[in-house]
Amino acid sequence: MKATLAPSSLTFTSLPYSSSFHSSSSSLLFRCPSSSASMTTTTRGNVAVAAAATSTEALRKGIAEFYNETSGLWEEIWGDHMHHGFYDPDSSVQLSDSGHREAQIRMIEESLRFSGVTTDEEEEKKIKKIVDVGCGIGGSSRYLASKFGAESIGITLSPVQAKRANDLAAAQSLAHKVSFQVADALEQPFEDGKFDLVWSMESGEHMPDKAKFVNELVRVVAPGGRIIIVTWCHRNLSEGEKALQPWEQNLLDRICKTFYLPAWCSTDDYVHLLQSHSLQDIKCADWSENVAPFWPAVIRTALTWKGLVSLLRSGMKSIKGALTMPLMIEGYKKGVIKFGIITCRKPL
Amino acid sequence: MRLIVHNMLSCNIRGVVNKFPLRIEPEKIIVKEVDFNPDFLKHMIAKIDWKALVDGARSMGYTELPDHAPDTTTLESDEPFLRKFHHSLLELHLEEGSLVCSETGRKFPVNKGIPNMLFHEDEV
Repeated sequence: MKATLAPSSLTFTSLPYSSSFHSSSSSLLFRCPSSSASMTTTTRGNVAVAAAATSTEALRKGIAEFYNETSGLWEEIWGDHMHHGFYDPDSSVQLSDSGHREAQIRMIEESLRFSGVTTDEEEEKKIKKIVDVGCGIGGSSRYLASKFGAESIGITLSPVQAKRANDLAAAQSLAHKVSFQVADALEQPFEDGKFDLVWSMESGEHMPDKAKFVNELVRVVAPGGRIIIVTWCHRNLSEGEKALQPWEQNLLDRICKTFYLPAWCSTDDYVHLLQSHSLQDIKCADWSENVAPFWPAVIRTALTWKGLVSLLRSGMKSIKGALTMPLMIEGYKKGVIKFGIITCRKPL
Repeated sequence: MRLIVHNMLSCNIRGVVNKFPLRIEPEKIIVKEVDFNPDFLKHMIAKIDWKALVDGARSMGYTELPDHAPDTTTLESDEPFLRKFHHSLLELHLEEGSLVCSETGRKFPVNKGIPNMLFHEDEV
């Protein structure tokens, strides 16, 4: 996939691993080995389940607290989109703050385009109800609701984020179109098949159980509707490779702790999970080159006077998060971390 | 939380059959004005569970909605109805209170207008 510099896309019809995947899909859990969210389903039965239950609650609490603490800081410096910008590869131009914000909007538009939503007007008109899974302070929801004239519901574990998201919606006269609640992406409080567009922009990283996460996305999408997952992944494993190299795993572990990421998986893993649900038009792409300027830019803003003062005021989680950012750059540079998009459509 | 949202929320506790709608137990209700948009409302009519809306509005103190939504063909000219629909769907806010599962009695708190729909580990 290295050949082209434009966002490349692959349409998968079958993959080497798919047949073996089917038999194990129900217990397919991807975990950070050293994290406390150890949730392998073993024959240890009740003890393992109880330990897992406690650690799930602990993870949810950790994620909520992380975003309760850091959202305000992020918004102050970067605005209401809590995701990577999309850049032309190898762009050496030093972007202004507004350039980065434009890149964040471009990320939304490129994702829609890749999934086929913005192919033509007919497709766009079909989008009436959107769920924003892991909505942050609602940047995507507000943008998508405005763009499509649709209703968007956002879910987040952070009450601080939900409140801020609602306040911003009211301020932008979008309160009738968007709303936000505290809920778990792994147990969404919606009935089946409600949403024309299921949007997960950089929230997949936080899900301890990717299979369950995908199950929920598939459950709540309407027949004919689309799922768009944009997420941090680790590199695809080569054929015969069972796991990442120890040094790679070590790098990811260090990032996991501060960002409350319980598990990493690969783009291939997501594709397999979607395939197991008989979905159509499953596509994926590696956009790592298109997000390369992002982390250096975030670090630059953190090192400004305003950035440092805000960091110190925010608290330990923010500071630790900031200190972890160079590891993200290292991960990308060494090809361990990938920025992936995976999209599909539920049959009618 | 407005009733347009309440109309989408269900209680997905394991084993529960009667998941939707959730009963509303209000403690604080506020009215926030929203611009009247007839086109949006006409589009929403088809998507709303009418009984859930009527019952929800009633529990928030608003009893003006008819038991059945009028024919979509007459909606165009029925501004009084659209106004009532608009008010109940978009302008009534549950600021503090609970959403209650009719089957299990489980309460989901609503604080500062935000429902907390997190289920506990043993519920799902």
